[in-house]
Amino acid sequence: MLLRYVIGRLLVGVTQLLVLTIAVFFLIRLLPADPVSRFVGLNSSDEAYAQAERNLGLDRPIGTQLAHYLGLAPDEGSGLLQGDLGTSWVTGSPVVSEIGQTLPLTLELITLSFLFAFLIAVPVGMLAALRPGGKADKAVFVYSLFAGSQPEFWWGILFVYVFFFVLGVAPPPLGILSPLTTAPPATTGFILVDSLIAGNVSAFFEALHHFMLPVGTLVFILSGPIVKMVRQNMVRALQSDFVLYARCAGLPRRVIAFYALRAAMAPAMTLIGILYGFMLGGAVLVESVFALGGIGQYAIRSILAFDYPAIQGVVLVITAISLLIYLLLDIAHAFIDPRVAY
Amino acid sequence: MADVSEIQAGATQKRRTDWLFVVGVSIVSLVVVLAAIGPAISPYDPTVSTPTVSMPPPPLAQWPSLFWGVLTGSVEQTPHWFGTDSSGFDIFSRVISAPRIDLTIALAANGLSLLLGVFLGLIAGYFRNIGTEVMMRTSDVLQSFPVFISAMILVALAGRSTTNIVIALALLYTPIYVRLTRSEVLSQKTRGYVEAARALGNSELIIALRHVLPNSMAPALIQSSVTIGFAILLTAGLSFVGAGVRPPTPEWGLMISTGATQIVLGEWWPSLFPGIAISATVFGFAVLGNALERRYAG
Repeated sequence: MLLRYVIGRLLVGVTQLLVLTIAVFFLIRLLPADPVSRFVGLNSSDEAYAQAERNLGLDRPIGTQLAHYLGLAPDEGSGLLQGDLGTSWVTGSPVVSEIGQTLPLTLELITLSFLFAFLIAVPVGMLAALRPGGKADKAVFVYSLFAGSQPEFWWGILFVYVFFFVLGVAPPPLGILSPLTTAPPATTGFILVDSLIAGNVSAFFEALHHFMLPVGTLVFILSGPIVKMVRQNMVRALQSDFVLYARCAGLPRRVIAFYALRAAMAPAMTLIGILYGFMLGGAVLVESVFALGGIGQYAIRSILAFDYPAIQGVVLVITAISLLIYLLLDIAHAFIDPRVAY
Repeated sequence: MADVSEIQAGATQKRRTDWLFVVGVSIVSLVVVLAAIGPAISPYDPTVSTPTVSMPPPPLAQWPSLFWGVLTGSVEQTPHWFGTDSSGFDIFSRVISAPRIDLTIALAANGLSLLLGVFLGLIAGYFRNIGTEVMMRTSDVLQSFPVFISAMILVALAGRSTTNIVIALALLYTPIYVRLTRSEVLSQKTRGYVEAARALGNSELIIALRHVLPNSMAPALIQSSVTIGFAILLTAGLSFVGAGVRPPTPEWGLMISTGATQIVLGEWWPSLFPGIAISATVFGFAVLGNALERRYAG
């Protein structure tokens, strides 16, 4: 039953991705942008314009372009079906490898941020849940409302001013390693993992140091919704019968709190997954403030340069990862609670 | 004992002023007022640069005497309360002129998506057929797009104008309202009053528009206060990465972006003040939305 559920969900996910790919493909071509004149300049001759249009492949009928992109036209070269996202119009290198170089950094950034946001949000949310309506609860409520509605790029800039310019404890916002440091050889693409594999401890700590402010910014923003959610679930769990039973049985408060926390975290998983998927595209601004060179910055560069293959690739990859995360969460959920699969 | 204290706590809570709500309403009112009269009362033209470049704001201690000087006319030139940026624009004038742009975009985008979303949600909930199923699946696909990146694509490729930002945001926010209204309509249409209206011989269209629609709008209206705040954040974010309104339009995100290059040199004022404005505005709308939710949805 579980297997059938997983296969069903996978099919739906793949269909969703396909529809989305085609939608993005047509959407960016429907918008009144002229990428050709962007590449040849506004005052170019008609011949140069036609030549550029041919080079970009935009002179062909739109159906042919789509077939080529999806990889359904083998004589025109590989496409999506063969795992090829095309070549960037700006750099001329394959979009797949460019995304491969930028995606790991974003994943590292978000994962670290979620980790720390959790470490902070769980105790704070629990504290608020202990006495609903109390002073601590009210303070935590205002905090979560505030942190959840903030312009993260502005806080990033503010942190740069305070921690780099005034206090001098943070590095300048110029990427993940100082320009003078040689990066460890890329094995996995994740800078923290790679530097450890290469045994380069100084690069590891330097990257951590450079992650300090961007992660701090995201932790602040993320902690808002996470605290709110932990508090809500915790209040509900503390009111449930099994907690009452545990209390009657005379179990120590710490054990009861642990039981309640475990019950509160199960429904939280779904929201975490949605937030994580959202942050893949939502970390754009923080990446840009600190010039980290993640997939968000790659997206900005591609969009502002009208680099259609790169834009399609970024949207496709980000959506695919989000859908995959939702799928894994649903499977985990179905595994824990088999009623979901029916 | 516990019951008595809880009742007492509930009673005093009712009587006490909800300070958070007061703060939220004050901020939102101030922003609305500034959107109306901000450009008219700004001491300098927000889009014309002055000869003084990168001037820091006067120290706080001098503000009262400067203010008195302006009132009595002994200070000839209006001071740059928030300083000037690297192009010589007066930051105070730009900060108080920006709500007209930011709030207009947010309200227009939100109004458009609210109208469209509630209407489509009503249809999708009330008349269930293949057409509305297709519509819901389309809205699923729209909702699985990464929001910020989609907004960037729409605005950058369609042209960086205020109208295009409004259309892009409206497009991205419509599915939220479709979903909210649809689920409310689904629960409303099984109620007794619908059957009563039908028994009286009303046509289905009249029932849907006159009876079900007014009863199904609450969730969408509550959501809209939160969405206005997020629309302001998104508009500012778009300008920040260079895919929003064009300079020298007075817009908070654009101002933060101009100041960002200066901050590593220690010039904190060009980014600080517009940032405080966004931070407070979005918080104000979030508080308002939360209060509405507690009052009408709970």
